[in-house]
Amino acid sequence: MRHTLRFTGVGGQGVLLAGEIMAACKIKNGGFGLKTATYTSQVRGGATVVDITLDDDEIRYPYANEGEIDFMLSVADVSYQQFKNGVKLGGIIVVDPNLVHPTDEDRKKWTIHEIPIITIAKEEVGNVITQSVVALAITNTMTGVLPEQSLVETMLSKVPAKVHEANKKAYALGKAYALKAMD
Amino acid sequence: MREVISTGNELAAKAAVEAGARFFGGYPITPSSEVMHESSDLLPKVGGVCIQMEDEIAGISAALGASMTGVKSYTATSGPGISLKAEQIGLGFIAEIPLVIINVMRGGPSTGLPTRVSQADIGQAQYPTHGDYASITLCAGSLTECYTQTVRAFNLAEKYMTPVFMLLDETIGHMHGKADLPDIEEIEASIVDREKFHGDPSDYKPYRAEMNKPAVLNPMFEGYKYHITGLHHGDEGFPTEDAEQCEFNIERLVGKINTVHLENGGLDDLPDYEEIDLDDADVCIIAYGSIALGAYEAVKKLRSEGIKAGLFRPIMLWPSPIKRLEELGKKFENRIMVTELNMGQYSKEIERVIKRNDFTTLLKANGRPIAPAEMVAKVKEMM
Repeated sequence: MRHTLRFTGVGGQGVLLAGEIMAACKIKNGGFGLKTATYTSQVRGGATVVDITLDDDEIRYPYANEGEIDFMLSVADVSYQQFKNGVKLGGIIVVDPNLVHPTDEDRKKWTIHEIPIITIAKEEVGNVITQSVVALAITNTMTGVLPEQSLVETMLSKVPAKVHEANKKAYALGKAYALKAMD
Repeated sequence: MREVISTGNELAAKAAVEAGARFFGGYPITPSSEVMHESSDLLPKVGGVCIQMEDEIAGISAALGASMTGVKSYTATSGPGISLKAEQIGLGFIAEIPLVIINVMRGGPSTGLPTRVSQADIGQAQYPTHGDYASITLCAGSLTECYTQTVRAFNLAEKYMTPVFMLLDETIGHMHGKADLPDIEEIEASIVDREKFHGDPSDYKPYRAEMNKPAVLNPMFEGYKYHITGLHHGDEGFPTEDAEQCEFNIERLVGKINTVHLENGGLDDLPDYEEIDLDDADVCIIAYGSIALGAYEAVKKLRSEGIKAGLFRPIMLWPSPIKRLEELGKKFENRIMVTELNMGQYSKEIERVIKRNDFTTLLKANGRPIAPAEMVAKVKEMM
């Protein structure tokens, strides 16, 4: 079973890390995971897209096939608008409502959840950098593609020890918001 | 087997160090920078040196100088960097200095598309500089090959005393996933070191090589004196314009790679290409580098729909696998589709070798990959 996920944002937001963590977790659990990023030559502010492909069988082509993406998370309108059409009809899209503005048409095509990812990281966790972990928690809670404990362990192995507690908190908050949104 | 989770660029750096390289000279450029970044971490740990020079020209110059002392050396860059290094690459060819040049390809010409994928430097890798010579160019088609083919590049550089191109592209260089690497013992057992002259220093003639054989250059500072120059040179490396000598030099430079490759069926014991499902195929897709990743999936999809497709993936681009390509041309005739991220640089080689131009091409040069679905659609058009 192949799962294709897409994170979109702008350069500098740290969307790359969440993708790496998911791919690494899948591999550690005996499967295959690939992460690719597409970005522009702007240092900051350019549209960035990260495709994550997870499968029990070998994956060769590392990009998402347009129209086959199961889940997308977006924290920047410029990249949301540019990359949303890769999501399959009826697929799940999570957006930060302070930054991304889906149209009514979009809401008919996809299940769109609004979660203020950046605000959660900045105000509730107290560290904006943890937004990628909030995003990670939301993604896995909504898709259930990876075993949670293993994902948290993989995440902690990729961040410095001094921010372990903040990132654990970020994961718990992301999960709670995701569960609430799905209710 | 060693299972690692990494990127193509990091794996190329790891391979260089494990192949015995101890010197990197270069200047960072997207999308190759991580090769240098990783090298700056790995090399000092094994007593090696990684130096960021003031520009790309100085980077390759330092690496060539290090190699002259017997240290396996490399540089990494992208297309614009190769353009800058072109003059010194020529010195590497004529003076027969082993060097691995890693090029992580991005869109061009000039500064082009810095962050986007391309395969438009394969022609540049064949003829990176003026004059006559033959290039050895390898092209990684998976994360694992970013490692294994880089090791191979160092071994070929030492065996044939020449610069060797190791091509990655933006997709494969930045792709993050699983790679199965050979055990380190296996790598160490495969290492090739350049030949040395062990006789009396007064008898040493480094460039007195037979036709189609490389020069034997002892490391500098070990008591064996010779001259290194970009000018045509005689047995001891001193400049000459002797007509016979100059002709011999060029025939030997080209022959030590192209003739040897043809006569021996390869430059080493490793495969120059990979074939997937070609035996019973009705249509042959030819793709290399990251584009082959999509081609594997296209073959699978086509077969699931009853179309017998197969894939031919060259690993050594130059010299190209002429004999096998000729056979494929006879077998598949015009039922060949060459797909690549340029305006047909490898397609031209196929045309030259199979002597027909009625095969199909699927080309792209806008910095975007070619999706399996595009390949499937194109093959269906052919049927």
